[in-house]
Amino acid sequence: MKKLIALFIVIVMSVTFVACSNNTEEAGNKATDETATNTPVENEDVNMTIAVNAEIISLDPHDISDTLSGSATSTMYESLYDYKLDMSLEPVLATGYDVSEDGLEYTFYIREGVTFHDGTPLNAEAVKYNFDRVSNKEKNLKRRRNLLHVVSTEVIDEYTLLVKLDAPFAPMLNRIASIKIISPAALEKYGDKGIITNPVGTGPYVFEEWTPGDKMVVRTNENYWREGPKIDTLTFKPVTENGARIAMLQTGDADFIYPMPTEQVKAVEGDKNIEVIEGPSTIARFTFLNMSKEIFSDVRVRQAINYAIDKKAYAKVVKSGYAVPLTSHVPSTITYHVAQPEYEYNLEKAKKLMAEAGYPNGFKTHIWAPNDTENMKGMQFISQQLSKIGIEVEVVPMEEGTLSDSIYKAKTPEESTVNMWYVSWSAFDFDGATAKLFHSANIPPTAPNVSYYMNPKADELIEAGAIEVDPEKRAKIYAELQEIIWNDAPWIFLGSDVLLSAKRSTTEGIFVDPSGGIIATQAATSK
Amino acid sequence: MEEVKMQEAKYEDFKIENPMKEFARKFLKKKSAVVSLGFIFFLVILAIFQPAPYDIDETDYDNILSEPNSEHLFGTDEYGRDVLSRIITGTRLSLSVAVTAVTIGAFLGSILGIIAGYYGGLLESLIMRFCDILFSFPGLLLAIGIVAIIGPGLTNVVIAISIYGIPTFTRVIRSSTLSIKELLYIEASRSIGVSDTRLLVKHIFPGTLPALIVTYTMRMGTAIISAASLSFLGFGASPTNPDWGAMLSTGRDYIGVAPHMLLYPGLMIFFTVLAFNLLGDGLRDTLDPKLD
Amino acid sequence: MKQYVLKRLLNIIPIMIVVSIIIFMFIHLIPGDPARIIAGQKATLEEIEIMREQLGLNDPYIVQYKNFMLGILTGDWGNSLKTGLPVWEVIIPRMKPTLILAIFSIVWSVIAGISIGVISAINRGKLIDYIVMVGASSGISLPLFWLGLMLMQIFSVKLGWFPTTGIDSLSSYVLPSITLGAGITAMIARYTRSSMIEILKENYIRTSRAKGLSEFIVINKHALRNSLVDVITIVGLQFGFLLAGSVLVETVFAIPGLGRLLIDSILFRDYTVVQTVLLIFTFQFIIINLIVDVLYGVANPKIRYQ
Repeated sequence: MKKLIALFIVIVMSVTFVACSNNTEEAGNKATDETATNTPVENEDVNMTIAVNAEIISLDPHDISDTLSGSATSTMYESLYDYKLDMSLEPVLATGYDVSEDGLEYTFYIREGVTFHDGTPLNAEAVKYNFDRVSNKEKNLKRRRNLLHVVSTEVIDEYTLLVKLDAPFAPMLNRIASIKIISPAALEKYGDKGIITNPVGTGPYVFEEWTPGDKMVVRTNENYWREGPKIDTLTFKPVTENGARIAMLQTGDADFIYPMPTEQVKAVEGDKNIEVIEGPSTIARFTFLNMSKEIFSDVRVRQAINYAIDKKAYAKVVKSGYAVPLTSHVPSTITYHVAQPEYEYNLEKAKKLMAEAGYPNGFKTHIWAPNDTENMKGMQFISQQLSKIGIEVEVVPMEEGTLSDSIYKAKTPEESTVNMWYVSWSAFDFDGATAKLFHSANIPPTAPNVSYYMNPKADELIEAGAIEVDPEKRAKIYAELQEIIWNDAPWIFLGSDVLLSAKRSTTEGIFVDPSGGIIATQAATSK
Repeated sequence: MEEVKMQEAKYEDFKIENPMKEFARKFLKKKSAVVSLGFIFFLVILAIFQPAPYDIDETDYDNILSEPNSEHLFGTDEYGRDVLSRIITGTRLSLSVAVTAVTIGAFLGSILGIIAGYYGGLLESLIMRFCDILFSFPGLLLAIGIVAIIGPGLTNVVIAISIYGIPTFTRVIRSSTLSIKELLYIEASRSIGVSDTRLLVKHIFPGTLPALIVTYTMRMGTAIISAASLSFLGFGASPTNPDWGAMLSTGRDYIGVAPHMLLYPGLMIFFTVLAFNLLGDGLRDTLDPKLD
Repeated sequence: MKQYVLKRLLNIIPIMIVVSIIIFMFIHLIPGDPARIIAGQKATLEEIEIMREQLGLNDPYIVQYKNFMLGILTGDWGNSLKTGLPVWEVIIPRMKPTLILAIFSIVWSVIAGISIGVISAINRGKLIDYIVMVGASSGISLPLFWLGLMLMQIFSVKLGWFPTTGIDSLSSYVLPSITLGAGITAMIARYTRSSMIEILKENYIRTSRAKGLSEFIVINKHALRNSLVDVITIVGLQFGFLLAGSVLVETVFAIPGLGRLLIDSILFRDYTVVQTVLLIFTFQFIIINLIVDVLYGVANPKIRYQ
């Protein structure tokens, strides 16, 4: 009998556990439960679900740096300018801007008649409030890095804002585009931490609920200032397992998935309910060659390595065919890109260059990358290819935090232990895709110039391009820069992703832009 | 005849005529265990001779992900390598990881378990609290934590799996020791003044052997699965090694496209682990004297 | 007995202190700088430095440990480094799915495991014994994630019986708990079988049979009840397996539980969340172990508590 009582106690304890956690959540869930059960069938909401491969980290648009949190906040927030699908900028909460001749003063004309979800009107004062918040060093928000050149913002009149810079900065408009505008009243009300879970913006959707790790639900904004979505609610759901994400699409549990795993395209080809969408990307895939190490200090070795890699096979094997070869250090989607003559796959040439450089029999080295299957695949491919010119590459997958520690703990080039780093980079503008990776001031621990590429001429061009406001002159500077970097070959230039997403054939108006951001402003469905 | 006599002398204390023969007679009746033992022998032979039809590192980018055919019985993987060859070659790796890890865990765990069970008191408390602490970081999580600190790689996987095997052995051996200790004849030996060491070696340790052997066999399966799980989460062997778990975790990316990449390594793990578990079952039935 | 339980309860305090130190050391031993990971690749060095200062990562370890413990004792568990939300707000919604999953798995595997074990024991040596036990052994021989993916392919995608992922309804838990419980079912079946076989040989069972009691009553009332003791031990011992397994199952079925939170937080070096989740795990684990030990003692009075 005692035993049974004991067993009973165990069960009761477990149940209480659940009950406890139930109670605390009840308040949050009640609203949704009621709508789910009490709404009559004929008025049923049109709901759409987007399944994604990672978790939303935060809903404070000023304090995020990952693409997915960017997509999630973009449903509720907007910026003065934003990217169109072709990566050109269009005015959104602004109607236009002027820039002074010295490039130091930007005047923005704010759109009239727009209100935040809480009824606060959008005006120059509200935008200034946001810019000031982001620029505040104390707050140290992640977007601050985009406004480092901003000295002050002034309200000229109700709908005109003046932004002053400390130095001319060509990609300023791109950086402005990254600053979403939050309702100042909401910021006052909820505070810097509270705003994370109480987003109030001007966007096409209004916040409904967010359970970190599970889902974020937004509801269509009835008072949106332009044409908005034709559905009632939109859900973002993180599903990290590739197979599970596809299964959701196949059963209709998801209306749109991103990314669509490249390996599995064939598996859904026969399914009439599913469409796979391809798009170009701003993602460059490459491998840093640490030039401060003797083996990679000779340009002939680095070029030999580039000749020894079959870029078409890379696309086929590693990306299941969904990649295009890199033709410069920036993908062709980036403005000012100029295609360079390719390093064609040529083992003879590669071997000859290796012999000239004094390595006829190759050498031993290692390659680092995070330990997910896709990165491991890329590393193995490089290892297999380089073995053909005698370079023995040990594949070292590392957990991401360990990897970044191993790279950035080196205070000087001599201390660095990295040889090759298989990695990708995505940026919106040319400067963003170049300065941090190639300027000599940006070697670790400052920034990821892990090639330890230190070319004074390149430095000069990077600096000149950043302050040149005239597009034509800027194009010339960047053309020269691309040629220099390409010939110096501080990287193995591998490819640029083709972005794959997939949708139910009933799904309309959801897109993935070249940076991997999901745009659902016009979402609609015929299901 | 000579041999039999020696054994008789050795196992005198058990007062069984011919324990090996007795064991063999009983064991052979367990058909599933016998078949499993045969399969494990087969694996060991594969591991030693590695009769792989192809070079496991030979890539063929024009022939990737091809389905099983007469040339490649288990198909090819994402680099066009022969899956069958990699599975055969991987036998050595998977088995040696498991054997090493379980042996270390069993060795340390048994010592702790016997000491705790026999001596009791403060020593027992200390050991069992130590186990509680190890145990309070649930199995695989402990392994993940250890690998996170010391870095991925085969050696570290072995270390992690053996450490998390320790408390299991300690608990099993302790409780086995406890119940043996309670048996009358031990009480009796103790009362007539037999030394602790002699008691431990002559009575308690042989008494725990059945439990040890059974647990050991069972842990083999767990160890293989744990290694595979670590690979699944990206903490396992280097992907260039033909490790079953690593093959499986790559294979899951191709689940709808090239199911053979997921199926065969999965089946291999499944059958191997099953064999160890069934063998463990058989041994348990045979070795546990209380069952007869 | 009471004394023993009291002693064990008091023992929890030093264990938890040691555990908290181990946890603290563990998270700080893993290489990786949370400030850099959280700030991202494109962060400036200044940004990372300010963040390190604000997060208190520049303080000596002893000060950091003191703050961590003080926070826990005073109920202020801090904010998640990753999201900026209070740690409790991050953790509490994650507890429910993991607990439901664990309880479902335990319940079905206890029922299935005991039934299989009993059937097997009664028919010891017969064909059905072999079939059932091989079937049960298969359960524990399958890699969890593999089983999960296969079940999802068959029952969600092909047949459409259950949702593929998530926790939107209780039916979402069916496949995950089957996956998670498969191994424990096999364990329980195995132990039920052997302990039943053992008990069926005991004198009192023979006596009951001799008294003419029906086989059904003998099995259910006498034999099974006694073998339940072993089962409780096994269930307790398997809890660790369950929590660890939940990491894999939660990954495959996209269940936002504690296991996945822990892995994600370790990857992100979200110190505050990792510390808290590990403390919760270990605490609940120690309590369960205590209960198992006590039940074991209740069940088997021959064991002396020293």
